[in-house]
Amino acid sequence: MTSSNKSIIDVNNLVTHYGERKILKNLNFSVEKGEIRVIMGGSGSGKSTLLNHMLALLTPTSGSIVIDGVDVVNANRKTLLKLRQKMGVAFQGGALFSSMTVGENIKLPLQHHTELDEHTIDIMTRLKLELMNLAGFEDLMPSELSGGMLKRAGLARAVIMDPKLLFFDEPSAGLDPVTAVELDELILKLRDAMNMTIIVVTHELESAFKIADKITVLFDGEIVITGTVDEIKSSKDIRIQNMINRRARDEHLDAEQYIKRLTTGKN
Amino acid sequence: MLAVIKTKIEHLGDVGINLVESSGRLGVFLFNILARLWMYRFPLEETIKQVLFIGAKTVPLILISGLFTGMVIALQFYDTLIRFGSVELLGAAVAMSLIRELGPVMAALMVIARVGSATCAEIGIMRNEQQFDALDCMAIDSYHYVMLPRLLAAIISVPLLTAMFDTFGIGGGYIVGVLIHGVSDGAYLVGMADTIVWNDVWMGIIKSFLFGLVIMWVCLAKGFYLHIEQKQSGAVGVSQATTQAVVLSAVLMLFVDYIVSSLML
Amino acid sequence: MTFVQKTHLHYQLLALTGEVDLHNSPQVRKQLLAIVESGNSVIVDFSSLSYIDSSGIATLVETYNLAKNKQLSLTIVGARGAPLQVLELTNLNKVFPMKDSLDEIKA
Repeated sequence: MTSSNKSIIDVNNLVTHYGERKILKNLNFSVEKGEIRVIMGGSGSGKSTLLNHMLALLTPTSGSIVIDGVDVVNANRKTLLKLRQKMGVAFQGGALFSSMTVGENIKLPLQHHTELDEHTIDIMTRLKLELMNLAGFEDLMPSELSGGMLKRAGLARAVIMDPKLLFFDEPSAGLDPVTAVELDELILKLRDAMNMTIIVVTHELESAFKIADKITVLFDGEIVITGTVDEIKSSKDIRIQNMINRRARDEHLDAEQYIKRLTTGKN
Repeated sequence: MLAVIKTKIEHLGDVGINLVESSGRLGVFLFNILARLWMYRFPLEETIKQVLFIGAKTVPLILISGLFTGMVIALQFYDTLIRFGSVELLGAAVAMSLIRELGPVMAALMVIARVGSATCAEIGIMRNEQQFDALDCMAIDSYHYVMLPRLLAAIISVPLLTAMFDTFGIGGGYIVGVLIHGVSDGAYLVGMADTIVWNDVWMGIIKSFLFGLVIMWVCLAKGFYLHIEQKQSGAVGVSQATTQAVVLSAVLMLFVDYIVSSLML
Repeated sequence: MTFVQKTHLHYQLLALTGEVDLHNSPQVRKQLLAIVESGNSVIVDFSSLSYIDSSGIATLVETYNLAKNKQLSLTIVGARGAPLQVLELTNLNKVFPMKDSLDEIKA
């Protein structure tokens, strides 16, 4: 096993299924402390499934995922709860609770897990809102925010407990380019100032190249390569090259089958 | 031909498997919620909030439908009883049917329509927007934080709403019987007090308590398991889950109604 | 985390050692607010501090505000490394008076 003192995440021989279908095919990788790791892949590559397994929201068929020394697949409830207080997760659409204000959403973890004074909690909440450029939005309801704001509010909630480990699902999906760049810079600042390990799941190449220390590329449930930005750029693998040059998958066209599909709708 | 029969049998098997699976899921879901009563502190504040929410949504509806239900059954009974020359039994007949049967059932139907459907849709949307995943990741227990207060609130509210329904129904009966058709008010009220026994009241309370449990249990579960049970995702999934929740909770409620009645009569 | 309180000129000096986090920041808060409540300006010595989280930072903000309302001051001395980066991330290095060492503070 590749476990070392420096790694905070170790994924070993991970195999998962959705129903009968095999989604992840024997994944192995580890993430070092303080690293920004980008997990890249197109839709259907299995990157969201991998994220859900790392968050222990799904149970794999076989293999292990060790996060900060805890085997999340076999951990009991208590151990997992403890680990989760050290982890922050920013979901794609923010996943804020619609019945609470933005401020109430962000302070929720503090109110549940700490004995801090209400004043301290309020100031912490506003500090995070300032950091995300959301000052003054504390008392609005989530339904009054735009998509980009929801994403940032979700990020504020994810880092409210100053986690060691932050997972970020699709930070730039659906954002305008300026906001996307701002979020990338924020991710870099968070790592530098708070010494967080950050796992970003994305399909955006540009953002990945900008923030990643290392990139793990998934294709059809398998890791094509894990490497630095330069290593990815200089990879000879045709799938990586196609991804960088934005070329569609070059598939051999069987004329007869194609016509059959078009005329009968069957393969 | 053989193939058709085979697919039919397979289909039947699928339905059977689905039925067993979803009943199992429902059972585990309820167990998980109730287990939180022992595992965590009692969610008093959230429960009160939910009682207020259910009350605010349903009380006006309950009062109006209670009034009309009372009026119409008084009319029907009056028309029947006058043929036997025993209109002095009107009060007892109205009160008996309301307290034992119509009050709990009608109040429960109103709660299904007003609160059950809304709750199922809300929970379903929370599932769609990954809010339960977010709760898991924040180490906040969904069963304790979201489900238990709603279930307790329904168990508390439905009996209270039923009592209001009964009261307004008896009032509606009074309007029709005494004020419109001239039955003596002494006969209406005293006849009622003489006939109703504690067993009738208990039956109403036990029923409405169980109805509250069944309704909220089914509506919460249908929303919570949206991602497993519904074939379509997004808004279509939420609307299908809500329809199923309303139908299933109404049918189960009537089933429980029969069981309790047959045990207590 | 440990802290030592001393008198420095007309200030009360609170030297923090180790890591200030969610679990121990309420102690720091109690101490800092008590100093300011009793009418003293405060210096927080960061030179042996290796980490401060946002509950610690929030505590400093609250103390700074209380001190300001009482025409007193809160000064931070010797911030570097991770704690300094956290102050910079939140832009509070531009709000709190920051000194490199105690020698810079004159009566």
